[in-house]
Amino acid sequence: MKRLIKSKLVPEHRYDLWYYTGGITLFLFVFQFLTGMLMSFYYVPHIDFAHKSIIEIVTKLNMGWFFRSLHHWGAQLAITFLFIHLFGTLLLKSYRKPRELIWVSGFILLGISIFFGLSGYLLLWDERAFAAVRVATGGAGAFPFIGWFIKAFLRGSMDVTGDTLLRFYAFHVAILPILTLCLIGLHVLLVQYHGMSVPLSLERQKQKEAPFFPNVLYKDLSLWLVVLGILVTLAVLLPPEIGVKADPLAPPPENVKPEWYFLFLMQTLKLFPGVILGMNGEMIAILLVSCAILLFFLIPFFDKKSSRGEKSPLFTWIGVIYLLYFLMMTAVGFLS
Amino acid sequence: MLAVSFFLMDISSSPAAEKAVEKIAVFPSTAYEAYLIYESLVVFWVFILGLLIIIRMKLREIERIQALGVQEEDPDAPLLK
Repeated sequence: MKRLIKSKLVPEHRYDLWYYTGGITLFLFVFQFLTGMLMSFYYVPHIDFAHKSIIEIVTKLNMGWFFRSLHHWGAQLAITFLFIHLFGTLLLKSYRKPRELIWVSGFILLGISIFFGLSGYLLLWDERAFAAVRVATGGAGAFPFIGWFIKAFLRGSMDVTGDTLLRFYAFHVAILPILTLCLIGLHVLLVQYHGMSVPLSLERQKQKEAPFFPNVLYKDLSLWLVVLGILVTLAVLLPPEIGVKADPLAPPPENVKPEWYFLFLMQTLKLFPGVILGMNGEMIAILLVSCAILLFFLIPFFDKKSSRGEKSPLFTWIGVIYLLYFLMMTAVGFLS
Repeated sequence: MLAVSFFLMDISSSPAAEKAVEKIAVFPSTAYEAYLIYESLVVFWVFILGLLIIIRMKLREIERIQALGVQEEDPDAPLLK
């Protein structure tokens, strides 16, 4: 480890700023672990007490509102930087051979992080979160053949109930953190093993390199400090609201929207009619979206040209289209 | 009769009931506490900027020394007894 730290070199070029996005995401996840652990001392995962315990954290605990706000904005920033890291890796083709497993572990981490967001969202047990999780788990249930199992597994019962809250709590504080730790460990280990990827256009040029310790580490620390400053500022100036306690018998609130990282999915599902060629439109929509995500996941295995060190403009354009679609549908979902 | 009509009223959608659902204060409500928090935020940013300046200075010094090449070990250097 000492030899690795002393001898590790990081290439320096005009795209090396992208190298820091992974570190920032890692920093934010560690921060989420810390703030989450603090709040878990006071949170009660029961439908009669969950909402009340969060109100008590915010109103009665010293600086409780601040730690809840840090956790909320930490999640938003972590997922933002995760997407930046993902699309940066995609467009710079850092997934190419021999780094396919880094892409695979990273993609699974993305799925886990999205589920972290969904499970944490329900823990507030307000009407918005309740409606969002009902829609999300209902949507998962539209998957052909195994949808019923996924829905029952996530909900723990027929509808979103106290069982769902307890199950999501278990996911959020135990199962997902363990999986995340293992996958991040694998992901970082593989990055150390293979070294930093250099963009194809610069691969054949002689690279200037800087030692990781202390040069790159100091730059990492600087960026982490800036991100911490932004996070604290957002937490102080824009603390998240606490909505009305969820009532399973009440109709969903008007214009309820999921968190921003689900908006592109929601907008995509809205494009499909209820019935397509006599079949359930929702099911076809979910299938097509799943195929698109699977295709995205398999890009490193399809992109043979970049594996050979050649330019592959087709997959660059595919990456750009995915990015533009994601941004456009998120914006439309936000504004509608 | 009045009591029965009261029970039959849909009170959940009345303006009075809506006012009764109070907005939960997610930020300290007193002006003094708010002032302390904003002041702490400013101090925090001064601290962050100070640290950034120190790190930058340290990095420049390290890069200057590395450019000179004096940090590299000389394998033939004699040991002093």
